[in-house]
Amino acid sequence: MIKSLNFQDLRQKAMEAIDNRVRIITAGLGLQELRALMRGDPPTERPNPRYKVHTTSFLFHIRPRYYQRASTIFAHTFHLGFFTAFFFFVETFTGLILMVYYVPSPEGAYASILELMSNVPYGQMLRDMHRLGAEAMVIFSALHMLRTYLTGSYKGDRTFTWLTGVGLLGITLFLSFSGYLLPWDQLAYWAVTIGTSMAEAAPMVGNELNLLLRGAPDIGAGGLLRFYLGHVILLPLAAILLISVHYYKVAREHSISLPARFEEGNVSKDEEKDAKQRIDIIPDLLTHEIFLTVLGIFFLVIATAYFYHAPLETHANPQQTPLDTKAPWYFWWLQGMLKLGDKTLMGIIIPTIIVGLLVAVPYIDRNPHRSFFKRPIAVSLGILGVLVLVVLSYMGTPEYGIATPAATRILQDLAPEEGTGPLRAIPYDQLQQGVYEVNVTEADNLCPGLDFGCPELEAVFAEYGERVNEAMEDGRLPDAQAVLLIEEWQAGLKKITPRIVWSDPDTGETKTYERHIFLHQNRVGE
Amino acid sequence: MTRLQLEIALGTILVVVSTIILILFGFSENRRMTRFEEAQQAHAIEVGAGLFETHCSGCHGLKGEGIEGLCPPLNDRPFFTDRLEEVGWTGPLEDYIIATVSGGRLTSTRPEHYAGQGKPAMPAWSEDLGGPLRRDQIRNLAAFIMNWEATALEQVVLEELPTPTPSPEELDDPVARGRLVFLDMGCGACHAIDGVSTGAVGPNLNQISEVAATRVEGMTAEEYIRESILMPNAHIVEGFPENVMPLNFDERLSQEQLDDVVTFLLAQQ
Repeated sequence: MIKSLNFQDLRQKAMEAIDNRVRIITAGLGLQELRALMRGDPPTERPNPRYKVHTTSFLFHIRPRYYQRASTIFAHTFHLGFFTAFFFFVETFTGLILMVYYVPSPEGAYASILELMSNVPYGQMLRDMHRLGAEAMVIFSALHMLRTYLTGSYKGDRTFTWLTGVGLLGITLFLSFSGYLLPWDQLAYWAVTIGTSMAEAAPMVGNELNLLLRGAPDIGAGGLLRFYLGHVILLPLAAILLISVHYYKVAREHSISLPARFEEGNVSKDEEKDAKQRIDIIPDLLTHEIFLTVLGIFFLVIATAYFYHAPLETHANPQQTPLDTKAPWYFWWLQGMLKLGDKTLMGIIIPTIIVGLLVAVPYIDRNPHRSFFKRPIAVSLGILGVLVLVVLSYMGTPEYGIATPAATRILQDLAPEEGTGPLRAIPYDQLQQGVYEVNVTEADNLCPGLDFGCPELEAVFAEYGERVNEAMEDGRLPDAQAVLLIEEWQAGLKKITPRIVWSDPDTGETKTYERHIFLHQNRVGE
Repeated sequence: MTRLQLEIALGTILVVVSTIILILFGFSENRRMTRFEEAQQAHAIEVGAGLFETHCSGCHGLKGEGIEGLCPPLNDRPFFTDRLEEVGWTGPLEDYIIATVSGGRLTSTRPEHYAGQGKPAMPAWSEDLGGPLRRDQIRNLAAFIMNWEATALEQVVLEELPTPTPSPEELDDPVARGRLVFLDMGCGACHAIDGVSTGAVGPNLNQISEVAATRVEGMTAEEYIRESILMPNAHIVEGFPENVMPLNFDERLSQEQLDDVVTFLLAQQ
């Protein structure tokens, strides 16, 4: 037997064995075929083994065999659905790792985040990616819905897909919102306090709903655990279920819509044929999707390595309401509506109506056309809706409609409760001990003792003076006297006291507002 | 080159570039983590300073210098060198501070010098024991107190902000002078007077001149105030414990200071 086996036989036998193994793993693609795939060559066997994968492989059986060419046009879908799914996978991956380090209790949560940032290599980057991915997923899923609406891709067969999409948008928002609480910092605590207080306004069951969400009248250990479990188990499971249904509908039933012009426009037979030409998933679209994934990861890595850092404020403090409380940006529109009227009406009834309208869009809109120009009312209503959302969101920010006393506003802008602000950004060595009084101290040479002077301190002091003088002129702070006190407090620690004294315009009483800010030389300037 | 080949090529380049960025980023991770820890310590000290001013400065002094007869200094050399031995604490000083702040003190360890604010001498501050502070806040406070070590051991000498000299009118006016004595002697840590101090351990002194006139038959307001400062236990107001107000004001106050502070208190109507 040995005699009859020469080298070529051996080689052939070995290749056959390997080829066989590879076919088992790839669900039907041999070595030759794989090579052809990478080179963009046509299939090497008949029947086409690339189609066989779609029946034998689990991962590919949920994908269609081909798309029609026109549905892959970038300007038609902008890949919004693809990237929403991409970010869902990013969130799952980073989230699973973050879970290893996180402790869901009020005593441990914040400390575990600090531990992650200070003691885990790539810990900060993971957190940044998770946060950035969450924001991106909200943006992409909302835009995906807007695109579907504008191209009329919710009609006919696609009505149920639209419905699951509305559900997914809701789940995405709640996923993002429930993750908001987990770091247990001031930002998280108060944003979620505002958010859940909405539930309280629900008629009849408000109190019970509030208790169910928060676990107690105020958010505490119970509420944190509920949000955590919702964030890592309930909502992801619901999302996976709905995504499966949503995608299966698209893949196996009605596929991605074609641009309306190919369905109802005046296009020639040839053009129509070209638009409906099949593009196989394997290899063309698969390659394209892998490329897009790599591109997405590349941008995520660049952004989190150099540009974006997830915010982390000071430890949550139920006793101290921050001056400027804000909901997460995707709920600003709701906060804006709350400023317009009653909590039950604006916070519960109208949002419920909005959700109901979104769900009902395919059933209200009986117009069979999909073209932009044949459905002017639907399109203009959509654009109007977006504009209203933008305006309401602006009204939801603290800049709109909330009057803060002048002195408080000035000091808050100078040295905000959270974050850095101009005062804390002054380099430590420029904080020369002294009493600096607005309109008394010359603002251009505050530190004659320093070789290079203190331009940053001077700039901040000048700005402070400007703001005070402005308020003095328009009568908000009559006879104001404003000082900036800088004292050495400990080794490497300075105390800064901006203080404004004025006589109240109504009563003539003397009033004082001051803040005590401590700055350590090792603090981070963000 | 077809689109497929272009995407394979570009994708490969992007994978390589992303990997390189990730590896380079990894090299700076140790430095970043050290820096973050430093910044976190700095932040703890800043937060601790704010907490100290709100909760502790009334008794231990604005800069931890302590108040004679009431609460001990926390910024002096003996606190950092001798205190652990004195109380027999075997762990590090920071843990001692955390334990003391959390649990408070039932009785003073040095009653003749620092009697504390009554009973308990120092209240428990931990949320777990009925106080207002969370564990992380107490850790921040300890970080702030530990930061006095450099100045206490005189490794660092801080410049004092020159205190504004009182104006001539203030020095001429015995009420204004008395107000300064009242503040200097730490009376405000226990006694509240609107616009001057907020202490709540001893009786409120807002209308002391009227109250003092009616307290003891046959004594004028001035006599009553003078006697209460020099011999605090002579007339204890109902509801307040004995032996809380320091007994050594006859040594610590000059005749002139005593006159001034009495004049100041008589002006509180």
